[in-house]
Amino acid sequence: MAGSHHISRRDFIKLTTAAVGTFIGAVVAVPAIAYLIDPALKSASTDAWVPLGKLAAFEIGKPAPASFTRSIVNGWEKTVNSYGVFVLRTSETETLVLSNKCTHLGCHVNWFADKQEYICPCHDAQFGINGQVLGGPPPRPLDRYSGDQVKVEDGILFIHFLGA
Amino acid sequence: MKEEQKKKVHEKYKIALQKGERFWPDSIYKDLLVSLGIFILLILLATFIGVPGEPKADPSDSTFVPKPEWYFLFLFKFLAVYGQIPLLGKIEWIATAVIPGLVILFLFALPLIDRNPFRHYSRRTMGLSIMGVFVVSMIVLTTISGVPAISGNSGMSTMTLLQFMTGLVIPILAYIIIVGSSFLAKRSRPLASRLQKWTAVAASVLMAIVAVVVVAIAPKTTPAAEVQQANTLSEQIALGQDLYSINCAECHGSDGEGGIIQGVAGLDGFNMKTIHSQDEMYTRSDQTLKDIISYGQPDLGMNPFGKAYGGGLSTTEIDSLVAFMRYSWDDRAEMPAGAISSIPTLNPGEVPSWDVHIQPLVKRYCASCHQAGKQNNNYIMTSYNEMINTGDNAPLVTAGDPESLLLKLINGQEGLDPITGKVIRQMPPTKLLDPQYVDMLTRWVMAGMPQTAEQASTLEVVPMPGTAVDLTGDPTAGLTVFEAQCAKCHGENGIQGIENPGSDDGTVPSLNPIDPEIKGADLKSFITNLDIYIQNGSTPGGDSPKLTMPSFGTQGILTQQQIADVIAYVMSLNK
Amino acid sequence: MMWKKLFAWLDERLGLNDLYKATLDRPEPKGNWWNTLGSASLFLFLLQGATGIFLSVYYTPSPDHAYDSIQYIMNGVAFGWLIRGIHHWGASLMVLVVFIHMLRVFVTASYKYPRELTWLIGVGLLLCTLGMGFTGYLLPWDQKAYWATTVATSIAGSVPWVGPFILRVLRGGTDLSALTLSRFFAAHIWMLPAVLTGLIGVHLYLIIKHGESEFPGRDD
Ligand code: HEM
Ligand code: FES
Repeated sequence: MAGSHHISRRDFIKLTTAAVGTFIGAVVAVPAIAYLIDPALKSASTDAWVPLGKLAAFEIGKPAPASFTRSIVNGWEKTVNSYGVFVLRTSETETLVLSNKCTHLGCHVNWFADKQEYICPCHDAQFGINGQVLGGPPPRPLDRYSGDQVKVEDGILFIHFLGA
Repeated sequence: MKEEQKKKVHEKYKIALQKGERFWPDSIYKDLLVSLGIFILLILLATFIGVPGEPKADPSDSTFVPKPEWYFLFLFKFLAVYGQIPLLGKIEWIATAVIPGLVILFLFALPLIDRNPFRHYSRRTMGLSIMGVFVVSMIVLTTISGVPAISGNSGMSTMTLLQFMTGLVIPILAYIIIVGSSFLAKRSRPLASRLQKWTAVAASVLMAIVAVVVVAIAPKTTPAAEVQQANTLSEQIALGQDLYSINCAECHGSDGEGGIIQGVAGLDGFNMKTIHSQDEMYTRSDQTLKDIISYGQPDLGMNPFGKAYGGGLSTTEIDSLVAFMRYSWDDRAEMPAGAISSIPTLNPGEVPSWDVHIQPLVKRYCASCHQAGKQNNNYIMTSYNEMINTGDNAPLVTAGDPESLLLKLINGQEGLDPITGKVIRQMPPTKLLDPQYVDMLTRWVMAGMPQTAEQASTLEVVPMPGTAVDLTGDPTAGLTVFEAQCAKCHGENGIQGIENPGSDDGTVPSLNPIDPEIKGADLKSFITNLDIYIQNGSTPGGDSPKLTMPSFGTQGILTQQQIADVIAYVMSLNK
Repeated sequence: MMWKKLFAWLDERLGLNDLYKATLDRPEPKGNWWNTLGSASLFLFLLQGATGIFLSVYYTPSPDHAYDSIQYIMNGVAFGWLIRGIHHWGASLMVLVVFIHMLRVFVTASYKYPRELTWLIGVGLLLCTLGMGFTGYLLPWDQKAYWATTVATSIAGSVPWVGPFILRVLRGGTDLSALTLSRFFAAHIWMLPAVLTGLIGVHLYLIIKHGESEFPGRDD
């Protein structure tokens, strides 16, 4: 500013005030926003093989609920979250594991044996026995574990869980 | 808005002010009355309806059906109805973000969009009609939010179609007609207004009717079973005790004492350690106990109980269990007053009933094994009817029958399965009940097994032997007591009782020899019968017997030992 | 005499008379009972503030203690049930009253010149009130709260592109956790009330500046 002789003292003061205000505002705002959204920038999910129980306990051709827990460190706190799945043994050797989390907004679907459908209680989504969408709002089939995401060791069924 | 129009607005307002009132006190007076009404309403709501209790959040319970606060229900339902649209319904962000966003944007921009300078409702039929239909559709969506849009199999059912109509199609058609007819206004304003007004009314009525139909034909849902809830620490402990009895007592004993496990698949004969000791309680934090219960100790044979690990208990329930253990067994934690649901004791002359006495007793000591799905010869004791009727060897209890198998077993005797010939063990298998409870159950069976306290109050107390039957009597001491208390009516040495006018016999019965029915078949029944008379007294048959026998035992005239002595003496007279 | 002197002294320093003239002693068009709803909203806001402050004396915003602290308020503290009852029902009633207030303004077309900004701010107030209801719903940390918030935050997550990020900002991570509870708490008792207070201030200023609109007549 030193070179500007056209600017009046008043204007200079106005300009300086605005500049100082903007500077303080920016210096406060940037850390403040980063501070607020920080947990959203970190992703903590890790993949792991998780056991679902004895394979023999699941009947062939009948989806059965199972659940497992993973602990996640959220900030200072360790949270134990539980995840639900349906295990469907399609044959002696093949197993299909479906997440029970509705692909619409994440309510938990239930299996109705009489209708042979998974139904979501929230917005009435319907899924077929293999997780395919039969009706309602969900945009895609239920998340699934099959093929090499499923293994059996010592008679125990494992799935390869990729995080929430 | 043009400058002259603005001027007109200000002029009109000035006139309105002149004809008006003052803010203070005229307007404030009205405001205050309404606020007072709201305040009173709130206090009434808080007092008489309160805040409904809910179980604690349980991230491991993946069966809970979420429901938003009532004022968001219309949005929630809108998502469901929208989702039924073929194809478009799959693009969920149109319903979750775009449409609500547009509505909000529209609200914000309303003063800019609505450039019509008129304010009277007759010149604003379009806006009012649209808003009217919108508000009615919000109400309608809220009303039908509890009814699933699908019934039976996938695809469009009547229910889907109806909800689709009232929630989406009718309002959208109405908006189109209303906006469309505004183009008519250039030719005839009254006609356009009328069309808009009646479209709104017709659409609203139609939506309301369909909504009522939807609610009317909705499949009746049975309300979900009430979740057991504990609000105060005392309630928590009481709930924990019930849960302990049902889930843990079969292995850990009714009070954490442990012992040889019997009748539990896979663990029979295992010597369970005590879990209520100081060692255990001091070295395990609440969190540790919760983890053990939740995850179990599979290697030691304890199954997981937490829902997260496939068990049946929610986090709240495990919290209650641990509260029960902590406050009952840890001497550092002081039990809050009135926390433990004790089994009520019997008042003199009271007949026990299922509701008041037997159910809590059975729940505490028996239900752990005698519930569905356990090894128990199919004898279930969780309800009155099951207690009386179930079991492979039913009936196990018969009203008034002292020989009922159940009574034998709780007295430490063994039974024999008539079909398989297998021995039926004493009950409870590890440790017999406190004599007080054996007595309570016996009295209940003998009096006729009443269900409610009311039924019990109409029944006679059945005379019961006292504890004297288990004592050893001394006939010499008995003679002294007999001379002081009995001889004046029954005669010296029990020979020849004195006269008793008004009684059927006319005399007090002789005790030497005694009535053969009292003597009975064996010594044990002789003792028991004598004891019943001496404990409870007796009123002889007849209109107005002058003499009646006092209740030496229950009134405390004689001690149990003295009674045992007299019994021994009378028996010696009747060798 | 004494009082008059005291008043005069105070007036000289505080400008009480000017304040009285500017805020209370104003002419108004002939009033209507529907026009009381704005004040009723204000009353409810103040009541929520008062009861909310009292609740925060015992309430603890952590997953381990939130539920128990509310149980304690309900069962262990004298009149806790009343304070929470009023706050709970007051929240519902406030949403209802604010909404009907908005409908009233719409029906009488009071959003037109010169009151466009008053309306705009009012829409902000409605959204903030809904935001209060949404954030407050989670605080008791019960089943209903936990799962409803899980689903409601997923709604934000369904927005294409930025959705997952917004979701993580709302939840403070990928899942509902202690971080979610504490940020909802901060929003519920500091940020949203601060914004609400500011907006209400401007709302009221504009109402005083332009006066309450008159009920529209046939020729309006
Ligand atoms: C416009 C104002 C407000 C609204 C609409 C509102 C709404 C709510 C709602 C819906 C809940 C859940 C209540 C329940 O289900 O029991 C809640 C809880 C709570 N609010 Fe507010 N609130 C407001 C103002 C405040 C203020 C100003 C504070 C504190 C400074 C506050 C503190 C709390 C606390 C501590 C809770 C947790 C207690 C509880 O859930 O019962 N609130 N609020
Ligand atoms: S969350 Fe399952 S249908 Fe919406």
